[in-house]
Amino acid sequence: MNDKQDKQDQQRDSIDFGYQQVARERKKGLVANVFNSVAAKYDVMNDLMSMGIHRLWKRYTIDCSGVRQGMKVLDIAGGTGDLTAQFARRVGPQGEVVLADINDAMLKVGRDKLRDKGHVGNIRYVQADAEQLPFDDNSFDIITIAFGLRNVTDKPAALRSMFRVLKPGGRLLVLEFSKPITPALEQVYDFYSFNVLPKMGQLVANDADSYQYLAESIRMHPDQETLKTMMHEAGYDNVDYQNLTGGIVALHRGYKF
Amino acid sequence: MKSLSLIPWLVLETLVNELLSRDANSPERLQKLAGKVLRFDIKELPFVVTVTVEQQAIRLSTSTEGDADCWIQTELGVLPELTDNANLTRLIKAGQLDIEGDPMLAQQLVMLVKGLDIDWESELEAKLGVLPAQWLSNLWRSGQRHMKEASKSHRRWINGVVIEEKRLLPARIEFEQFKQQLQQLRATIERLERQVKQEQ
Ligand SMILES: C[S@@+](CC[C@H](N)C(=O)[O-])C[C@H]1O[C@@H](n2cnc3c(N)ncnc32)[C@H](O)[C@@H]1O
Repeated sequence: MNDKQDKQDQQRDSIDFGYQQVARERKKGLVANVFNSVAAKYDVMNDLMSMGIHRLWKRYTIDCSGVRQGMKVLDIAGGTGDLTAQFARRVGPQGEVVLADINDAMLKVGRDKLRDKGHVGNIRYVQADAEQLPFDDNSFDIITIAFGLRNVTDKPAALRSMFRVLKPGGRLLVLEFSKPITPALEQVYDFYSFNVLPKMGQLVANDADSYQYLAESIRMHPDQETLKTMMHEAGYDNVDYQNLTGGIVALHRGYKF
Repeated sequence: MKSLSLIPWLVLETLVNELLSRDANSPERLQKLAGKVLRFDIKELPFVVTVTVEQQAIRLSTSTEGDADCWIQTELGVLPELTDNANLTRLIKAGQLDIEGDPMLAQQLVMLVKGLDIDWESELEAKLGVLPAQWLSNLWRSGQRHMKEASKSHRRWINGVVIEEKRLLPARIEFEQFKQQLQQLRATIERLERQVKQEQ
C-alpha cells in the first residue's frame, strides 16, 4: 500500500473529537462520557455558559417551527428536554412529542424534570442514535436537533435518517453553534470559550475537560454554508438558515417535499 | 438581533400569564381556546402578532410560521370593541376590521384579557403582609380611577402617536415606560420591606 492511500484510509477511519483525531468507533463512547459526566449539572451550566441566552435561541426555534396542536414532533439529541417541554404544551393532548437521546443519563434527567413540571401523557422517551433512528418512514411533522448535531459521529447519516422519518411536508430544524459573522465577535467568543468556559466547568461541575471538549467541538462543527450544503445533499429542500446572536448560533431549516 | 428582540415579548407574555394565573376563571376561559393560534395584523404596528393558546398559558410571537385559526386585521383602538358581537358588522363595514377564520376566537381572546378578575388585596397580603398590602391596594384603586378618566383621551393619544410616528415602535416606548414603573415599584417595595423589618 502506498503512502498516500495509507493516509486516506486513516482519515476515513478517524474522526474529530474536539481537536483530537480519534477512531470512529471511539467517538461515540467519548461523547457519551462527556454527557454522562455533565448530565446532572447540564441545565445549570447551560444557563451560566450562555448567560441565559440559550433560552431565547430555543424559543426562537419553537417560533420558527410552525408547530400546531395534534402534530407529531421528534426532539432528537433532546437531552434534558427544554424543547420537548415547549413542544408538548403546543401539540396538546392530541399530539405527541418524542424526546430521544443516545444517552440514558441525559434522558433520565430530562424525564424526571419534565414529570416534575407536570408533563405527562403526550411525551414519549426513546433512547436512540440519530444516525439510525428506530422510527417508521414518514412519521414526524417536525424534527429538531438542538446543540446535538456537532456531537454526532456521522452527520450525513444522521441528516438522512432524520429525512427518512420526516413526513412529506415536514421540516427539520437544526439549532447549533456556528461561525460568528464578525472577526471581533469571533475573538471575544474564542477567549470566552477557551478561557472562561472550561474554568466555569471546573468550578460548577468540577469537570474542565468536558467543557474544553464542548468548546473544541463547536469550532470543528461545519459553518453555516457547509451545513446548508450538507442538508441539501441529504435531500432537504428550501434549506435556509438564520444567524442568531451574531452567528454564534445558527438555526438551519429544511423541508421534505 | 433576532433573539434579543424576543425579550420584550417574553416579558409581556410572562406578565399576561402571571395575571391569568391569578384569576380563578382563567383555566376555564383558556380551555375554550386551547390549541388555537390567532394572528393580529394591527395597522399601526410594523409586525404581526401571533398568539398561541395553551392549556394554561398564552405565547406571544411575531413569527408568521404555520397556519392560524383566526386572522384579524384591525387598528389598535378597535381591539377593545371586539368583545361586543354587535360591533363586528359595523366595524367590518367601516373597513376597520377584517377577520378570516373563526371570529368567536378573537372575541374570546379579548374577553380573556379584558375580563381578568383578580383579588389583588389577598394576593398582596399573602406576599407582603396586611399593612403594605392595604397601602398598595389604595394606590392601585386611585390609579385605576385615574386610568379610567384618562383612558378615553389615552386611546386617542395612542392612535395619534402611533399613526404619526409609525417608526417609533410603540412596543418599545411602552416597554421603557413599563420598565421605569417597575423600577419605581421595586424601590417602593424595598422601602416598605425595610420599614416592616424595622417594626418587627
Ligand atoms: C448539548 S446536548 C443538547 C441537549 C438539548 N437538545 C438542549 O438543547 O439542551 C447534546 C445531546 O446530544 C446527545 N447525543 C450525542 N450524540 C448523539 C447521537 N448520535 N444520537 C442522539 N443523541 C446524541 C447527547 O447525549 C446530549 O444529550
